[in-house]
Amino acid sequence: SSQVQRGLERLTPAQVDRKGHKVKPVVSGSLLIFRWQKLVQFILIKDQKKVPIKRADIVRHVVKEYRNIYPEIMKRVTRTFEQVFGLNLVEIDIAHSRITCEHHLKQNINKLETESKRKPGELASMSLGDHRTGLLFVILSIIFMKGGVVKESVVWNTLRKLRVEPGEKHEDFGDVKKLVTEEFVRQKNLEYVRIPHTDPVEYEFRWGLRAETEVSKLKMLQL
Amino acid sequence: GKEKASQLQADGSAFDPTAYAEHLLTFMGLNRLEDEDSDGEGPSGGYLPQDAWQRLGNKVQGCFRTAPSFHFMLGSFLAEPPAPRQRVE
Amino acid sequence: MARPMTESHRRFLQIMMTSGIIELSKAKSLIRHCCDDQSAHAQLDEFIDVINAQLQPMFMQIRKGMSEDDGRQYYALVNMAETDVTRMSSDYADNELELFRKTMDLIVDSENGSASSTDILNCADSLQTKKMKKKEVEHVLNRLVQDKWLNEKQGDYTMSTRCIIEMEQYIRNVYQDLVKPCYMCHSLAFQCQMCENPECGIKVHLPCVARYFKSHIDPQCPACKEYWPHEIPVLRSESASQ
Ligand SMILES: [Zn+2]
Ligand SMILES: [Zn+2]
Repeated sequence: SSQVQRGLERLTPAQVDRKGHKVKPVVSGSLLIFRWQKLVQFILIKDQKKVPIKRADIVRHVVKEYRNIYPEIMKRVTRTFEQVFGLNLVEIDIAHSRITCEHHLKQNINKLETESKRKPGELASMSLGDHRTGLLFVILSIIFMKGGVVKESVVWNTLRKLRVEPGEKHEDFGDVKKLVTEEFVRQKNLEYVRIPHTDPVEYEFRWGLRAETEVSKLKMLQL
Repeated sequence: GKEKASQLQADGSAFDPTAYAEHLLTFMGLNRLEDEDSDGEGPSGGYLPQDAWQRLGNKVQGCFRTAPSFHFMLGSFLAEPPAPRQRVE
Repeated sequence: MARPMTESHRRFLQIMMTSGIIELSKAKSLIRHCCDDQSAHAQLDEFIDVINAQLQPMFMQIRKGMSEDDGRQYYALVNMAETDVTRMSSDYADNELELFRKTMDLIVDSENGSASSTDILNCADSLQTKKMKKKEVEHVLNRLVQDKWLNEKQGDYTMSTRCIIEMEQYIRNVYQDLVKPCYMCHSLAFQCQMCENPECGIKVHLPCVARYFKSHIDPQCPACKEYWPHEIPVLRSESASQ
């Protein structure tokens, strides 16, 4: 596009080699113009709900006409997240995941996770877990102890003993069933899959892609 | 913790929901009453504090590497001039 | 030439993202904790400057401000941009934000920088975006307090330190003459005392009054020298780290 051309022409003097030839910049000119800072903001904001961010949304709202240099922009943004925030911007291609019902949607999804090299518990007092973290932990640990997949009924039976009833509105969680089967699933914390050939329909839970990368099974066992 | 690990090795599906729930309720600060006839909500009677789930969340936070998120108020809505009103001088 | 961020800076920033706001002495001990070399005296201001230099392009900053409650200094991680992207923030629904704006209106209008829950509930009926029931209002107010945008005491709501630090410029732009800075520290004053002299009318934060008038037998307005008729508050504890 013409904008990319205009960008490439704006080379700084430093990018001229010893023979006086214009050197193709490592960072393309249009990347110098593109405001990657806005994309960093966008990703931070979209990550508030912990629902993975679709490439299509990134292009539509921020990248727009610069979509042809999307890889370079993402490289720059990924580096910023690492260097400034200490966060890993990770791409999940769910087309290759086990979620067969979403197989046809070709999406590159990004999410943030933290690379904490510190020993466990040191900074724990500063980052407060909340009630949802507690609930998610319980469900993930049940799935883990059942070998990676568990029937929906087992989960609710256990939660019932913790005074959480799927049909009732909970003080902290509100509509628990919705939270667990919809929001946690959207966030890729859980997978909620129909068991084939069941009548009435039954579902099973597994760890979601996000949980796989963000949750430490070892630390769970140590509790 | 260690009991869970050995349970897992023995038989992947040997999971006792009641025992596990009891284990968690302790973390959540369940106040077990001596006398069974008060409250009596299921097998383990007792008073669960209001911040029970919050306590559990705090305890297990270390297992999660979830990125912190950025929250703010400025810029989250369009600035509008306030409604005109009587100003008492 | 901006100094590069280190792992310590990143740890501190992540904690700021989670907490939103932190008191000065806690910030100092947190920095010591975040630094690998515990003996290194990372200067607080220098440490934060390094982070701010990197945050600036994203219109984020760690800014300092005084609490109207305890007079202590706090650091808050704030957003400074108002764009179509920032408006995608999803912590609060449109009508919840409208209720928050109306609460700010009430606070600005008030004598003592607070809004009663009754008055806020009355606003809920006349929301332009979407009406809210009493239960919903209570729920939102709780969340606003939990998220540290408002403080609550005996049914009255005031703007939190975090709110004032982040929203200062917004408040000055939107409310203009309706708000006044504190005569002593020049930050916007909400929970304050005012000079009764109609030709003066300066405002002073309660902690600033406590500091300025400490052990003054005959308190006089620092601007017009008229008698200062209000009860002089006492700061709970003079922080040694000031
Ligand atoms: Zn002041
Ligand atoms: Zn005066």
